[in-house]
Amino acid sequence: MTVLRKGVMAAEKAPVEIYQTPNLDHPSLLIGWQTHELGKLASTVIHFLNERMGGREIAELKPFGFYSFGGIRFKHDLVQIPVSHFWACEKKNLLIFKSDEPEFEYYQFLNTVLERAESHFQAKDVTTLNGTFSFIAHTQPRRILTVFNQNEFKEGLQGYDIEELTWEGPPALSSYLLWIANRRGIPGMSLWVEIPFYLAESEDPQAIKVTLSFLNKRFNLDLDLSEFDLRIRKQHERIARLREENTEINDTIRRLENGLMLNDEEQSKLTKEVHDLLKEEK
Amino acid sequence: MGIKLYKKPDLEKPMMFVGWPGIGNIGIIAVNALKDILRGEEFGEIESWDFFYPRKVFIQNGLLKDLEFPSNKFYHARTEKKDVILFIGEEQPAFGGRMYASGEKAYEMANLVIDVALQFGCQRIYTSGACVSPIHHQMKPRVCAIVSSEELKEEVTRTSNTVLMSELEGRSEGEGVITGLNGLLLGVAKKRGLLGTCLMGEIPDWLSGASFPYPRASRSVLEVFAEILGLQVDLGFLEKIEGQIEEIVESFYAKFPSEMKEEYDQRKSKAPLKPGPITVRAQVFIDDRFKKGGDGGGESPS
Repeated sequence: MTVLRKGVMAAEKAPVEIYQTPNLDHPSLLIGWQTHELGKLASTVIHFLNERMGGREIAELKPFGFYSFGGIRFKHDLVQIPVSHFWACEKKNLLIFKSDEPEFEYYQFLNTVLERAESHFQAKDVTTLNGTFSFIAHTQPRRILTVFNQNEFKEGLQGYDIEELTWEGPPALSSYLLWIANRRGIPGMSLWVEIPFYLAESEDPQAIKVTLSFLNKRFNLDLDLSEFDLRIRKQHERIARLREENTEINDTIRRLENGLMLNDEEQSKLTKEVHDLLKEEK
Repeated sequence: MGIKLYKKPDLEKPMMFVGWPGIGNIGIIAVNALKDILRGEEFGEIESWDFFYPRKVFIQNGLLKDLEFPSNKFYHARTEKKDVILFIGEEQPAFGGRMYASGEKAYEMANLVIDVALQFGCQRIYTSGACVSPIHHQMKPRVCAIVSSEELKEEVTRTSNTVLMSELEGRSEGEGVITGLNGLLLGVAKKRGLLGTCLMGEIPDWLSGASFPYPRASRSVLEVFAEILGLQVDLGFLEKIEGQIEEIVESFYAKFPSEMKEEYDQRKSKAPLKPGPITVRAQVFIDDRFKKGGDGGGESPS
């Protein structure tokens, strides 16, 4: 096989500004996307990790070429600008990258993240944090579905409470990242944590806790996650009150609890009611 | 990212025929058919991942098996007289759901194709696409040509059913734009010293926004390809799809009010100089199922 012509190297076009060199020894890299995240999973997990483990912002991937900048987005009345930052949690030897999903040049973006994580910080493996829609009730347990890019890596993570995903269809950005990571020889996994569809737009503390519990065990983080028990209980109480007041919603959730499917209208109604409830009581 | 060649066929001054999707998929159908007629053998590809977001992921029992990208493949074939390279790109590298490539990625892709052409000593490149014209759908589509140098003008009009763009009614200046890579490739070829011709099969203006292919125009382009290569080919294999599309188009035509039909039928004897109100009126009769959310463009000369 012959490669006739190489493209411009991604790193040349999309430099990463490194503010400080952390004291990390072949860390694991955690990645979360905040653009279309479900249940506020990745951003909450990363925020919690950084806060509890003294994560320091150490580098930024410059956004030029990856976003349109034809204007500015806003959400909940707040201006949003795409950001892509690396943090270092030196105590637990973790490298974290949180970013908006790029709009253009996906390959260059993902390749640059991995290239810098590898060459500057000697990252040894990568884990992406994602939520996935599920037709379960909020009262049911959240499963963690997983995708690995190397069989050896998968074999090495037996014994955790995770399940294997099987899927053929349009790929998420995390799958594209795992594919590129594998080409670079970096072992990787994606966690796809179930989020009840009607909590996708809100926070799902139960899914967040399940994710953190996995990371706690995998990386020996020694984190106290009890605050999430409180957040879960509060959310359950709020929805329980809604169920008491609204028999239709109660019936809809009960059907989910019994493993029954809902039609589109029922799904939309439940999503709206729960979303409005949780928004009101913030 | 780059070009991956599985082998290096021994070719003598090959001609290159290139096809990407566009209006009515006229060019890509023609090039694909030529590949099948010549029994083209795949010998390389342009690596896709820097140009396209993958279409599909295959995950089995928790293991990511592969990603599927739109393909960009090179084939070679030999006729009695000539060596041929064919390049077929399943998609144009475009942003935001647009069909046509533009900007740096388009330029890069065009250069990669030309890299292969030059490596194998190619001197001629043919792209093809659609020429949106105010013609009647029952007329045989002509092939409109744009060339990269004066010397090719005479040569191209020697082939049957082919006219230069400036010879088309109302386009005496021969001006316009060929959107996307079917056009850009010619510009890059010219810059790098290759002769290039774009052969565009006519498609009735009111059908340019339809989502289905227009194989009658592909046939016209394919006939020109065959003449260039000195081939005697039976294009009967196109009849089935031509028949299917004709049936759809005739069903729209049948719904035209009689006075509109009368006006439209005048196109059979004399094509109007420019698309007129009837173009827009006719588009109304295209069933919603067959309308595409287009981004304009195409190989439409202005």
